[in-house]
Amino acid sequence: MVEKYIPASKKEALEVLSKHDCYIVAGGSDLMVMKKNTAGLAPKFDKDILYTSHIDELKGIYEDEAGVHVKAGTTLDEVLNSKLAPALLKKAVSQVASANIRHFATLVGNLANASPAGDTIVVDFLLDAKVKLESVGGERIVDVENFVLGVRKIDRHPDELITELIFPKLDYSGDMWWKVGSRKADSISKVMVAGYWGIRGKIVEKFALSFGSVSIKAVRSHDIEKEIIGLSVSELKARKNEFIEKYGKIVTPIDDQRSNAEYRHKVAMNIVSEFIDKVVGGK
Amino acid sequence: MKINFNMNGKPVEIDVDPSMRFLDVVRDVLHLNGTKEGCGEGSCGACVVLMDGKSVNSCLLPVANAIGHDFVTIEGLKETKEFDILQQAFAEMGGSQCGFCTPGMIIAAYSLLKHNPYPTEAQVREEMSGNLCRCTGYQAIVEAVLKAAKKGAGLW
Ligand SMILES: Cc1cc2nc3c(=O)[nH]c(=O)nc-3n(C[C@H](O)[C@H](O)[C@H](O)COP(=O)(O)OP(=O)(O)OC[C@H]3O[C@@H](n4cnc5c(N)ncnc54)[C@H](O)[C@@H]3O)c2cc1C
Ligand code: FES
Ligand code: FES
Repeated sequence: MVEKYIPASKKEALEVLSKHDCYIVAGGSDLMVMKKNTAGLAPKFDKDILYTSHIDELKGIYEDEAGVHVKAGTTLDEVLNSKLAPALLKKAVSQVASANIRHFATLVGNLANASPAGDTIVVDFLLDAKVKLESVGGERIVDVENFVLGVRKIDRHPDELITELIFPKLDYSGDMWWKVGSRKADSISKVMVAGYWGIRGKIVEKFALSFGSVSIKAVRSHDIEKEIIGLSVSELKARKNEFIEKYGKIVTPIDDQRSNAEYRHKVAMNIVSEFIDKVVGGK
Repeated sequence: MKINFNMNGKPVEIDVDPSMRFLDVVRDVLHLNGTKEGCGEGSCGACVVLMDGKSVNSCLLPVANAIGHDFVTIEGLKETKEFDILQQAFAEMGGSQCGFCTPGMIIAAYSLLKHNPYPTEAQVREEMSGNLCRCTGYQAIVEAVLKAAKKGAGLW
């Protein structure tokens, strides 16, 4: 018999998780599809279930020295309407699923689902987001790039609850977000790219790019970014093709029914080219 | 398990498995059959209901998450002036043919107009992209929503 827990406080939830291996259901937009049963019958969960939507402590967005904290129960719609949430994150969120789904699905659920096509994960990677996990034993904070391990694989122990996603303050002068899908909105992504840059004088002071749907998880290369940061705008312009080639090696799409690997690779590289043009053009 | 929430302005208490889909409670337990099941996977919008004033896919909503919230289905919306305006606009513009998607469309339109009373055409298309219609080709629906926005100005 599968037990269902509907705690009203974080403390209660952590106690349940310390004793029982549970599915954690937030909005349910991923899990209810995954566990779908015949109409009229309850979904097929093979383990206990912990519902988090009644935990008030898990709701809301706040800011402190560490950055902007999005608590785990915050819906995509609330992120979209928040004055504190990073603008680039909002751009990505506005393209996730549909308004109906954004009204109850959570940002943290999109991350924890760890789909290679998770739109907001690309921005989490780009903005150096940190994941806060809590258990009865304490808390830990993990860089999002280390937190996502693979397709539907995350660095969470069974007794841990994700409680926050933290976005450190970053200053940059320009940013971009692309989602190339089969329909404008409401499509599971084919290719997503997020990037930002900063120019001071004629020097590229900041440069970051991350990609989604082109590998088993979102990808970002700090090595390539390090090579580019510090170059003059004209050097970056002259070496554009070299960097496109380098990005071409880390972007390794897998074939699936949505779009073949070659097409995705090409789209991603065209976007890198356009991005570098923007950076050197100062637009 | 005993589950409490408000449906169409009235408190409801039912004894069901909290992992059930709210859609099945709406249709099979409360017999509010205006809410439809299309895809059962969150992508067609036939099942949307208002939860605290916002459209949500009841096929994806576990009953556990419904506890304590306020819901309105198309049956409840029918009692409102806003519904009359929406229904008239849909009729005038030809926004409903077979009618299967229409309850969901009206709920989604209501949710949109309550939060954005003066939407642009692009906003209507984007905000209602989670509601599919096999009959009308959408133009008539978008026009109906824009017309309802205008006619109901001040009401939303
Ligand atoms: C029709 C449709 C279209 C979609 N389109 C898109 C799209 O365009 N782009 C996109 O990126 N996604 C899309 N999605 C996916 C989905 O809506 C998101 O992934 C959503 O953000 C998940 O949030 P949720 O709260 O509903 O998650 P849930 O289903 O409740 O949970 C998702 C996962 O996160 C885990 N989790 C949730 N909260 C916690 C916590 N506090 N601690 C630990 N683990 C937790 C759950 O255990 C589960 O593994 C779509 C889904 C549907 C049904
Ligand atoms: S039946 Fe719920 S969205 Fe299609
Ligand atoms: S009127 Fe038939 S599906 Fe919309």
